[in-house]
Amino acid sequence: MDQPPGSRELHPLEVKVLLHYRPEDTVSSTTLVADLGYNLGQANQSLSWLAAKGFVQESSRATSVLYEITDFGRECLKKGTYERRIVELLASEGALTLPEIAKRLGIEQKDVGSAFGGLSKDKVLVMDAEKRAALAPGGKEALAPKQAALQTLLSRASEAPLEESALALGEKELAASQAKKRGAAGSLFRLVEREVPAFVFTSIAAGAAAELKKSGATGDEAGALTPEMLKTGAWKTAQFRRYNIDVPPTRVPLGRGNPYCTFLARLKDKLASLGFEEFDGPLVETEFWNGDALFMPQFHSARDIHDVYYVKEPTHAKSIEKPWRDQVAATHENGWKTGSRGWGYKFDHDFTRRLILRSQGTVLSAKQLPHAKVPGKYFGVVRCFRYDRVDATHLADFYQTEGIVLGEEVNLRTLLGLLKMFAEEVAMAKEVKYVPGFFPFTEPSVEVHIRHPSLGWFELGGSGIFRPEVTEPLGIKVPVLAWGLGIDRMAMTSMGVHDIRDLFTSSIEDVRSRRIR
Amino acid sequence: MPKIDVNEELFFRTLGRRFEKEELDVLLPTAKAELDDWPKGEGILRIELNDTNRPDLWSTLGLARQLSIYLTGKIPSYPFFSRASAPQKTQERRVVVDKGLKDIRPYIGSFVAEGREVTDALLREIIQSQEKLCGNFGRKRKTIAMGVSRADLITWPVSYSAADPDKTEFIPLDFHKPMSMRQILSEHPKGKEYGPIVASYARFPLLADGKGEVLTFPPVINSALIGGVKPGDTRLFIDLTGPDLDTILTACAITACDFADMGFRVLPVAVEYPFDTPYGRTIVTPFYFQKDTVLEVAEAGRRLGEDLTVEQAAASIRRMGNGVRVDGTRVIVSPPEYRNDFLHPVDAVEEIMIGRGMDTFTPIMPRDFTVGRISEAEEYGRRVREIMIGLGYQEMIYGYLGSRRDLVERMGTDGSDAIEISNPMTESFNMVRNSILPSLLMSEAESAHATYPHRIFEIGKTAVKDPADNSGTRTDNTLGFLLADREAGFNEVDAHTLALFYYLSLEPKLAPLDDPRFIPGRAASIRVNGRLVGIMGEIHPQVLAAWGIEMPCAAVELRLDFMRGGE
Repeated sequence: MDQPPGSRELHPLEVKVLLHYRPEDTVSSTTLVADLGYNLGQANQSLSWLAAKGFVQESSRATSVLYEITDFGRECLKKGTYERRIVELLASEGALTLPEIAKRLGIEQKDVGSAFGGLSKDKVLVMDAEKRAALAPGGKEALAPKQAALQTLLSRASEAPLEESALALGEKELAASQAKKRGAAGSLFRLVEREVPAFVFTSIAAGAAAELKKSGATGDEAGALTPEMLKTGAWKTAQFRRYNIDVPPTRVPLGRGNPYCTFLARLKDKLASLGFEEFDGPLVETEFWNGDALFMPQFHSARDIHDVYYVKEPTHAKSIEKPWRDQVAATHENGWKTGSRGWGYKFDHDFTRRLILRSQGTVLSAKQLPHAKVPGKYFGVVRCFRYDRVDATHLADFYQTEGIVLGEEVNLRTLLGLLKMFAEEVAMAKEVKYVPGFFPFTEPSVEVHIRHPSLGWFELGGSGIFRPEVTEPLGIKVPVLAWGLGIDRMAMTSMGVHDIRDLFTSSIEDVRSRRIR
Repeated sequence: MPKIDVNEELFFRTLGRRFEKEELDVLLPTAKAELDDWPKGEGILRIELNDTNRPDLWSTLGLARQLSIYLTGKIPSYPFFSRASAPQKTQERRVVVDKGLKDIRPYIGSFVAEGREVTDALLREIIQSQEKLCGNFGRKRKTIAMGVSRADLITWPVSYSAADPDKTEFIPLDFHKPMSMRQILSEHPKGKEYGPIVASYARFPLLADGKGEVLTFPPVINSALIGGVKPGDTRLFIDLTGPDLDTILTACAITACDFADMGFRVLPVAVEYPFDTPYGRTIVTPFYFQKDTVLEVAEAGRRLGEDLTVEQAAASIRRMGNGVRVDGTRVIVSPPEYRNDFLHPVDAVEEIMIGRGMDTFTPIMPRDFTVGRISEAEEYGRRVREIMIGLGYQEMIYGYLGSRRDLVERMGTDGSDAIEISNPMTESFNMVRNSILPSLLMSEAESAHATYPHRIFEIGKTAVKDPADNSGTRTDNTLGFLLADREAGFNEVDAHTLALFYYLSLEPKLAPLDDPRFIPGRAASIRVNGRLVGIMGEIHPQVLAAWGIEMPCAAVELRLDFMRGGE
């Protein structure tokens, strides 16, 4: 520290320490407890703060012996020691045998026995002819001083452990007699050795103390302003101590959005602002919409059982809407009226109704076609499912951002323009590169690669013009673009997440601490 | 998308010179390929091919052929192809097909390749081709299987027949004693892998020569003798079998062109069928069957957004390796021998795009005016989200797939309304969640060390069976929230729920609810205008114990679509 901290940012506990001691004094938590009446917590805290500020510095560690109160000690503090309870019982009931005493007080016989031993040695109790314990003459009075002293010790120890060096000789003897090392059961105190650091004042402490004296600080300055002070006007004469604004405050638990959800919401808003209307649909789809309507032949390898999740029950949808079903089937078989050769196989009308978990966002694009506006622009941020190994870069349950554009102006060049717009508006990228692409349902198709400000070059997404075999059987006469964007990499980068599985983490702590850069 | 190991030496030799990475990055996209990896000193380039309809590109030679044509404009000729009107001479080389195969695996394309010595590198190329063509495109040999045998050991004609699986015995490759075909299925590794393709038939496909010596058992394994090709051999017989004729003819063409490019002489074989095929009863393979595609150039111009002359269109299409004729305002496109991916004239339009070069097309920004908007469900969800955040809840987002153990068993429900997956990859993801509560409880179970209280929510989808729907299922936009704390109780979530409904301008009606997930007497159903929209309550300690949760929890689940009054 270049400059000592202003003494004005000191806590009242610190102020009192600086004011009370002389520069050549040695202090420890024990001395603060004894001299200033602090409890152990306050003593340790003020020394810690003062040390952090450079006003004191540790000089040595003394090992001190402490008497800690045990659980048994706490019980005796509350209910009285066995000795006192025995004496009080006998005083009211007269003589009783040891087993009777044990029963009446709910104490173990052996404990009664040893208590009696001690008490008879101290001439508090005697054993009469019938083997009963009885009060000795003047026994109660003989007990009183010792019990009172013990009570005081227990009471003090219940607040903070007793430092042996701070005890008077008589107290020390008494405590020692009631303690066993390492807290063996049945003793009131536990003997503990602890290192208690000693501190000396540094050179700047004296100056601070002087400043405090000059400003008239006492350590009794007010903390919070209260409604009562305002009511009574007491604030007028109060001195409010200055707070140390560097102390970190408590962490606030708050209500908050999830950063990934916020990212997706902003993406949706951006797409809506570019003129796109949102669509969504159910998680369970038919092979018809997920593949057949997209002119993917039913025997295409991507439609194997290994890529798509099938629903166990029910297995098939009741029906597929006509005329779409028949027109798509005819297109697959022989091209229908689209001008295509078709795939040349027999369309399976059962397979087409098979229920699956949707595997691509394009399923919604297909479903939208029969109801789409022209011109129209649509988008969806769609949860999809693929039969895939889950690891740091792959999920089985993930979002795809996809959509369509319909209109007379749709062609390859406006397709390139659309991709450029996405690159600039969604990914903030200035440089784009177009590469011939491939999707089974579009022709021609183009991929767009961008140079992202922090991620460098990567494939942002792609687009293609739907094949006539897709649009015409669904009643669309104008050209239609299908497009898709991969946004998870950008999402992960913005959140500092490196494993894609973490986007969906269950850990509350991880989500709480994650934020957008 | 298939990845291949391209032999560096063969690749650059075919292309005529070595190319650097930057040059490849410009050239490969014309074949829809990209360089994945080029490890130093290994002599291979790892390339990913993106067009799943162009299996001819999935070999070193196939890819090199396409790129070479693009660079030089020189189209290779393969004079050994037959056409329906002009079959090649085949001398004694005939394959006779047994009618018993008609419903099993009827079609075969074959040829002899001779004149070069088989080397290790060549064998590796052949094996990779086979893997990609038959494994990938041929769907693990189901639709295409390839066999390579020693032609010098063959006595013609070869018969392709439906053989008795138990009586027919031969020594398969890698083994030393004769086995029946059925034994091969159960004892040979290839038998176990590919046997299921034919196992259910009464008879199995067999290729044998004129003396009855076995060549191969398609699609399973070669014979050890005639089928045991070794380095040093110079005369090979290649066969491709499968259930679809056009697919086999294409696969045969691709393989033959690759062999020709390797320097072999390709000798055609006549395949004789006992039944009719679209190309006659005898087909001499390799066989060119592809039909022309007719493209109106004006249509292409419209699709590309660029005016083109017929000559420009033809030149671009030719650059990709296709045959082209001009006919007035149209071009007539004949695909090369190794391609059969022209289904519609638009396929020729893409050829123009790549042939001209992507960079010749300048982008036009979209001009049509359309009104954009987020969906009603999304709007509603945002209103709910805002209120939940205001109530102090942290938003979460979860996967929708889970295990039966988490979604049903731990919840103490019967799960009869939950949607199960019939082909899960692991038990961890064998169901679709029918409720958000398990996701929230999973978070709680994992988060015992996070500072309390825990207030978490999610607005997401759940799906259940619903016989009223055409699909027998229904997906709902749902809100779930959970409070975990020492004093987490009905009163608090009730208060939060009522606050939520107030700000959504809805009046909820609560009724006592009996539900195994909640403590009896501390759960309620929530209705709006008589319609059940949700449930809430203190989570039953049995459920908490099942999750290993040691903090009391209270939770609420609401179907937002019902509250919104929408679908």
